[in-house]
Amino acid sequence: MAAVTAPTLPGVAGEEPTRLHVSDYLRWSVDHKIIGVQYMATALFFFIFGGALAMLIRWELLTPAIDLMADGQAYNSLFSIHGTVMIFLWIIPMIAGLGNYLVPLMLGAKDMAFPWLNAFAFWLIPPAGMLMILGYFVGQTEAGWTSYPPLSTLFSGDGQTLWALSLHLLGISSILGSINFIVTIRNMRPAGMGYFQMPLFVWAVLATSIIVVMATPFLAGALTLLILDRVAGTAFFNPAQGGDVLLWQNVFWFYSHPAVYIMVLPAFGVISELLAVHSRKPVFGYRAIALSSMAIALVGFTVWAHHMFTSLTPELRIPFMITSMIIAVPTGIKVFSWLGTIWGGKIHFTSAMLFALSFLSMFVIGGISGVMLGSVPWDIHVHDTYFVVSHLHFVLFGGSVLAIYGGIYHWFPKITGRMLDERLGKIHFWITYPAFFLTFFPMHLAGMLGMPRRVAQYAPEFQTLNVIISIAAFVLGISTFILLYNIVWSLYHGEKASANPWRALTLEWATSSPPPSTNFIGDPVPFPNPYGYGTEAAYNYVESQNKKYGTVNPADYLPAEKSTAVTSE
Amino acid sequence: MAQNVAEQGLSRDELIALRNKRTGMTVFQISWIMVFVCLIVVNWQLRSNSPTWPPAGVEPLPWALPTIVTILLVVSGWLVHNALQAINANQLGRFFGQWRAALVLGAAFVAVIAFEWITIPTTGQYSTVFRVMTAYHAVHAVAIGLYMWYVDGRVRAERVTARDTWAVEAGMKLWYFVIAAWIMFYLVLYVL
Amino acid sequence: MSSSHPPSPRSTPNMTPSLALIIVGVVVMIAGGLGFTLFIPMILPPQASTQAQQVDQLFTFLLFFGGVIFILVEGVILVSVIRFRAQPGDLADGPPVSGNTTLELVWTAIPAVLVTVLAILSYTVWINTRAIPANEMSVGATAARFAWTFNYEVGQETLPTTLNFGDLKPEIQADLTDEDGVVHFNNPKLYTWVGQPVVMEMQSQDVNHAFWIPAMRVKQDVLPGRTTEIRFTPTMAGNYRIVCAELCGSGHGAMAGEVGRDGELLGAWLIVFENEEDYLANFFDPAAATVLVPPDDPALLGRQILASGAYPCATCHTLDDLGWTGNIGPNMNGIGDRAAARAQTTGDADGAAYLEHSLRHPGDYLVPGFGNLMPQFNPDPGQPNYMPQSDLDAIVAYLLTQTANPSN
Ligand code: HEA
Ligand code: HEA
Ligand code: HEC
Ligand code: CUA
Ligand SMILES: [Cu+2]
Repeated sequence: MAAVTAPTLPGVAGEEPTRLHVSDYLRWSVDHKIIGVQYMATALFFFIFGGALAMLIRWELLTPAIDLMADGQAYNSLFSIHGTVMIFLWIIPMIAGLGNYLVPLMLGAKDMAFPWLNAFAFWLIPPAGMLMILGYFVGQTEAGWTSYPPLSTLFSGDGQTLWALSLHLLGISSILGSINFIVTIRNMRPAGMGYFQMPLFVWAVLATSIIVVMATPFLAGALTLLILDRVAGTAFFNPAQGGDVLLWQNVFWFYSHPAVYIMVLPAFGVISELLAVHSRKPVFGYRAIALSSMAIALVGFTVWAHHMFTSLTPELRIPFMITSMIIAVPTGIKVFSWLGTIWGGKIHFTSAMLFALSFLSMFVIGGISGVMLGSVPWDIHVHDTYFVVSHLHFVLFGGSVLAIYGGIYHWFPKITGRMLDERLGKIHFWITYPAFFLTFFPMHLAGMLGMPRRVAQYAPEFQTLNVIISIAAFVLGISTFILLYNIVWSLYHGEKASANPWRALTLEWATSSPPPSTNFIGDPVPFPNPYGYGTEAAYNYVESQNKKYGTVNPADYLPAEKSTAVTSE
Repeated sequence: MAQNVAEQGLSRDELIALRNKRTGMTVFQISWIMVFVCLIVVNWQLRSNSPTWPPAGVEPLPWALPTIVTILLVVSGWLVHNALQAINANQLGRFFGQWRAALVLGAAFVAVIAFEWITIPTTGQYSTVFRVMTAYHAVHAVAIGLYMWYVDGRVRAERVTARDTWAVEAGMKLWYFVIAAWIMFYLVLYVL
Repeated sequence: MSSSHPPSPRSTPNMTPSLALIIVGVVVMIAGGLGFTLFIPMILPPQASTQAQQVDQLFTFLLFFGGVIFILVEGVILVSVIRFRAQPGDLADGPPVSGNTTLELVWTAIPAVLVTVLAILSYTVWINTRAIPANEMSVGATAARFAWTFNYEVGQETLPTTLNFGDLKPEIQADLTDEDGVVHFNNPKLYTWVGQPVVMEMQSQDVNHAFWIPAMRVKQDVLPGRTTEIRFTPTMAGNYRIVCAELCGSGHGAMAGEVGRDGELLGAWLIVFENEEDYLANFFDPAAATVLVPPDDPALLGRQILASGAYPCATCHTLDDLGWTGNIGPNMNGIGDRAAARAQTTGDADGAAYLEHSLRHPGDYLVPGFGNLMPQFNPDPGQPNYMPQSDLDAIVAYLLTQTANPSN
């Protein structure tokens, strides 16, 4: 790969952007940009925490016997907290942070619809995270992130209750945040931006928020009952007293399956932005991508019991297999549209683009294994094995995390006013990509061959595979520090970023980097097609932006007679 | 949507803010009603595990009193609706009459449910589900009732005027929510 | 449509793929998909049941189609990054192409057809693997943290040939002639023979477990409060590991078949004999005989009960006499000596009382260094982990004989 550095256009100094101090991020603030950064920083902290637990998991699994951990119980807490933290305290807040930072900017708005509520939603997260970590140290949080009763109602320790309370807070935070997104997107689009002129990231956030407001209340309901069973003596999940263990599974998955799309749809949105900008070509099939997010959100509500193929009444399994497989169609539309986007473009191998491409190549593996899992007879063999662990990391790490990495490289200049170091970015990429694959791909084999998940001790014949996996996992862990180092280093020493270093057309680039506290000077006018690359108008738009960012006047870039041609793109 | 006579007099920013609040309220209601739907699903699944419902040997809940208060609750919905119209038309006297009557009916409703709650047996799936559902609903009814009472005070203090009646409108919509949620519960607990 | 600006230093590559590329692509996709399926024997456990044959066939299709899609997507990425990379300093844009309805319809239709095919195949296999064969043998399975117990029954017709009905004790005779006409017995292993269809009737004493035999490709959760079923028909003699696949607590990983230091089979295994004669001679007849003719000595009876796996002690405790190797609970070697001493700390009258107390109310007093994990064995048949007083007395008598401490 020839190293192609980021194409930089001469940045023009306009109004000096507001410089913020670290302490501004430790305080209550209602500015969506500060809140966005607060979300992302908190999430990164929990990523390291959850990742450190993963390193302990992999260390324990170097040998077939239990040796690192005192006993199976200690190991069970490890992956329970690892899974919960990664999902609820890393991916979901990270995405909320990106959304918070970007959605108002992409819409040319000054802030979110409800700034106070926005800050409130964020400030639920640190205490919730503390409760979760406290729960880990109190102990007996060991029923997995899915916490199936009666196992989760059996322990007398408080860890499991703290876990449930923490999730409750996180769920409320996520509902409040999503209400805010929906209202902002519905009501605060600028003149000239209909739904089908919105950037695809905004579409993705909209679809995600709809899922959150519809599904998360079920998590709240399930957790309420779990807490009551644990502390108030009810018996909803206790079969000895007329309760039902499948009740939890149904209600929990009714939330948690849609939740996987909560985690991946915004990643899809990021990818749509990145691929178009860095291959300098319009998104192929804009409408199809926008609407398929909605289709996935909708069908996603009908598949929950595919997690219960070995517990559900056998007669009910087939319908859920069919709905699960249907999801492959709208997702396929996205994948093929992305391929259509890069095909024939001018691909610039920036770090952001490398991660976007790696997302595309790895997510599809997770998707294919997902469809295999959707097939009832095959799932019966591999359910609750490392095959599933592999699937879930391919879609969560290979999907969400790789997209987030790409997003960090892409938007860091906007957020901080400095570029991330591209050389370090490439080192990060070339270690992460193979290490990721070697960590998670062999897990498929272990699972198919007979290794169940959630075990600290396993049959000796799986040791070779596990050693390979663990070594790759350690490398993967180390590669994360390159990113962290890059972030910290570039914050102080990175190359100064111009307003629009990637020459993108979406509105967040039509203001200084970082944006002033009011985001824009005056009311920004969006470029009619957020992905209208390859036209003279687009070229002129970017040029004019670099001359005077802040307000961009269409007259600067749209010759009157050409404007219609561009809009119809 | 109850259009405020004075709404046209709002500034552009105020109008946007009002529109946001209205959308926000709707989305919030759609979202939060799902918790109640979830409890209904719980009720159904537990029910489907038992050959009869209520399970053999358990007395079905008395339904007469709850039916009466359900009707009263619906009436209170009509009252809050009138109250909003009254304040929009700047008829404070009528507002207080309707609004407080609704509060009284709401309080009567909560009292009857509380009575049911303490009189039914504390064990057994049939009554646990009943107790959890009604308690969950009552928490909302009481909290929203308290908010409406607070709004009453704001109106008295002339903080809510015909120019901006959002506080009253919010109270009304939240009370509608309490009513809608209860009707669902009533059907599941007493009728179906 | 206006052209990109400034003009590209290199002419924009032709976007339409050549016919040759398409043909090569399709060939690679199909050959690659088939190639992946060649690995199947290496990446799956032995194929030892009729269900396994069906599932593996289905997997062949899943892997083939999955492989085709995989190669297609990765291939397009690879070709794109090679062919469409921007030259250094090239700031021009690509062509402003933003869609193609025909193409989009095609790539919606193809996955739709594919998943329909896969769903139909899966459905067929599902129906076939669940078919109820005529002569199936029913075996009970009880899951308790953290061991499997299999429940067999012997009736008058199935008496071992070595026994005569008349020689049995009167109470056993009564059991064999009462309403259900059978005597139940337990074993920690599951036995059958080639070609004999098995249906498992499974119950859990405590939390959710899942019964999984990788070589049979069958798995079913075992849930408290209901009985669940699973069917398989072995096609190959051998020993196959039984695994608990649902998280059930600290010993979840130990709730599976293991190979001991000397190659002996510990824990839960499925043993498939060549034929019925071997099954009867090597398992059923001797096992049935021990319950039909129980020893008189309570200590021997206790040993027999524990050895049968009727109770899930082996996963948690170590006891050399019975080959137990668990380490979730205290080591039972020499428990007969220690029981009396412990009785003083706990206030029990003597060693026997202490042991009884440990089984009936294990949570009352915890051996230092261990958690409250041991199930409570209850005297009442309605409760989980039922242990009749007669069994308890025998077990206590046996444990009291464990005075030597061979491993120490
Ligand atoms: C971001 C998260 C995410 C995403 C996007 C997905 C996507 C999918 N998942 Fe996954 N899943 C998880 C996260 C996710 N999953 C997690 C965390 C678990 C484990 C939970 C636990 O137990 O702890 C899980 C478990 C899980 C199971 C249960 C397994 C088990 O426990 O036995 C199943 C079963 O059906 C399943 C199916 C699917 C399917 C069909 C998709 C589909 O959406 C995939 C669709 C995508 C594609 C198919 C690729 C692109 C499409 C094409 C290129 C078109 C052509 C393709 C074909 C025709 C095949 N998933
Ligand atoms: C977004 C979600 C996400 C992410 C990013 C990850 C990341 C990783 N996961 Fe995780 N995982 C889950 C979600 C996720 N996981 C879920 C939902 C489960 C199921 C849980 C359950 O069964 O209930 C699971 C389960 C799970 C298991 C199965 C456990 C079991 O079933 O027994 C394993 C085993 O290998 C594993 C490994 C890893 C590894 C090696 C990483 C690596 O990618 C991590 C890379 C490491 C870092 C990024 C951090 C770097 C930090 C250090 C190097 C430590 C330094 C320490 C200090 C400074 C103190 N995960
Ligand atoms: C789930 C794991 C588990 C199972 C199954 C189990 N035990 Fe235990 N056992 C423990 C643990 C842990 C302790 C120590 C804590 C305590 O005293 O309760 C223990 C303690 C004991 C003690 C007291 C030991 C001493 O050193 O004083 C006896 C006796 C005992 N078990 C016998 C049995 C017998 C007999 C069975 C089967 C019928 C059995 N256990 C099944 C986990 C188990
Ligand atoms: Cu039993 Cu896991
Ligand atoms: Cu799912």
